Amino acid sequence: MNTVTQHHEHHHEDDSLSALLDGELTDQGARLAIRQMVNDSVRQARFSDYCAIGDLMRGHHHDLPGLTRKVMAALAEEPTLLAPVRKPPERRPLLWLAAATCAAITWGLWNAAPRQDNVLPLAALPTMAHPPADVMPYLAAHQDYAQAVLTAPEMRFTRVSLGGEAR
Amino acid sequence: MRAGWLLLLAATTAQAAPPLSQAEAGAWLQKMADAARRTAYEGVFVARQGDSMQTLSISNRPAGQGNESRLMALDGTPREVRCSQTGAVTVIADGNQIKIEKRLSRRYFPELLPADTQALVGLYEVRLGDTARVAGLDCRNVEILPRDAFRWGYVLCAEKESGLPLKAVIIDGEHAPLMQYTFAEVKLASSGNPMKPLARTARLPEVPEPARRLDTEQIVATALPPGYVRIAAVKRRLPNTTGEVEHWVFSDGLTHISLFLTPSGKPVDSVRGQSTHGMVNLMRRQVGEFQATVLGDAPWAAVETIALGLEPR
Repeated sequence: MNTVTQHHEHHHEDDSLSALLDGELTDQGARLAIRQMVNDSVRQARFSDYCAIGDLMRGHHHDLPGLTRKVMAALAEEPTLLAPVRKPPERRPLLWLAAATCAAITWGLWNAAPRQDNVLPLAALPTMAHPPADVMPYLAAHQDYAQAVLTAPEMRFTRVSLGGEAR
Repeated sequence: MRAGWLLLLAATTAQAAPPLSQAEAGAWLQKMADAARRTAYEGVFVARQGDSMQTLSISNRPAGQGNESRLMALDGTPREVRCSQTGAVTVIADGNQIKIEKRLSRRYFPELLPADTQALVGLYEVRLGDTARVAGLDCRNVEILPRDAFRWGYVLCAEKESGLPLKAVIIDGEHAPLMQYTFAEVKLASSGNPMKPLARTARLPEVPEPARRLDTEQIVATALPPGYVRIAAVKRRLPNTTGEVEHWVFSDGLTHISLFLTPSGKPVDSVRGQSTHGMVNLMRRQVGEFQATVLGDAPWAAVETIALGLEPR
């Protein structure tokens, strides 16, 4: 119980330090937070870490000695929350059957749906904004071996990298 | 609960119809291939790919050792394909002009199977499905399923007596339909009801040959998917363009993949293309001094294998 109370106090301190950094405290609240920090080396260290983390996230700081150790230590101090134990549900075969049927139908529909994306062993880049216009005559010429009078299909194009192979 | 299990068992059993022996499979395939050529018929069929649909009329008559046929698009731009024993042309109405182009090949529903189907039984397994009714005629579903990932599958519904495919569905590896043809109405000739020969319209003007033989080859295809062979290699003009390109065609008898080689001093970016519904795949890359474009109504694995196997000779 004592541990939980200490954690609650730490969280309150953390909130006020964090609010101070974000400029969310009133003038009076900010003065109080600064005064408390001046007399408390632990708070000073924590405030310093917060500043460093902010700088790191903004890309302004490249050298934070002991940051990982401090973060891991802070995580270790966090209380472990256990999920409440749920009462095991009663066995209801009909519901299980319905769920299995739904799953089977979903799986069937999923498999039946036309797949637009095949596995591409090449490194694929995003779809090209401007498809190569000169491809259409090739599609038209291939129609001789495709199926008679149908028009050439609509295509979407992706630039691909052949992974170092000579092009 | 028991009823559910029986239903599941029935569905599983229905799906797992045993494949036919190679002899039986060959007989079914050949019967359907012959019927599409050697039966006299007239009808209207619908071609459907994703959200797009097209209606065409078709007439076919046996002629000599082969057949003559005429297909006409009934919606969209007026166009027609006329096939005889000597070749095929496409006739397109373009404004006030009529454009006539020779085709390098003829392939259309219901004549989708090659004239000789013998090679197909090693590449596809054939299963008999349910009976069905299409355009008022009874037919039997025949599943032609690839043995590997390098070709699409087909489900043809063969008319009970003649074997003429009344319906064709092209499916991917997950059995999802990629394209579908179905007769809306069809009339078959019988011994008591012969059909008149196809009407001859005004004689077509001379059409220049679209292709000529290759003199030399500077590119070699080092890898082909199993069962594919090169069936054509010509120099040709592309529609609405100037200059010639090399056009090679690889096929297993049912699936056709084109390779176009265009001289290109400047290296091109490698590009992958896929049709909206996934049936057509394309890859373009630089090979030596050529821009190589490989495309076909085939799975990506087949297109990729051919494209990546191209090398300067």
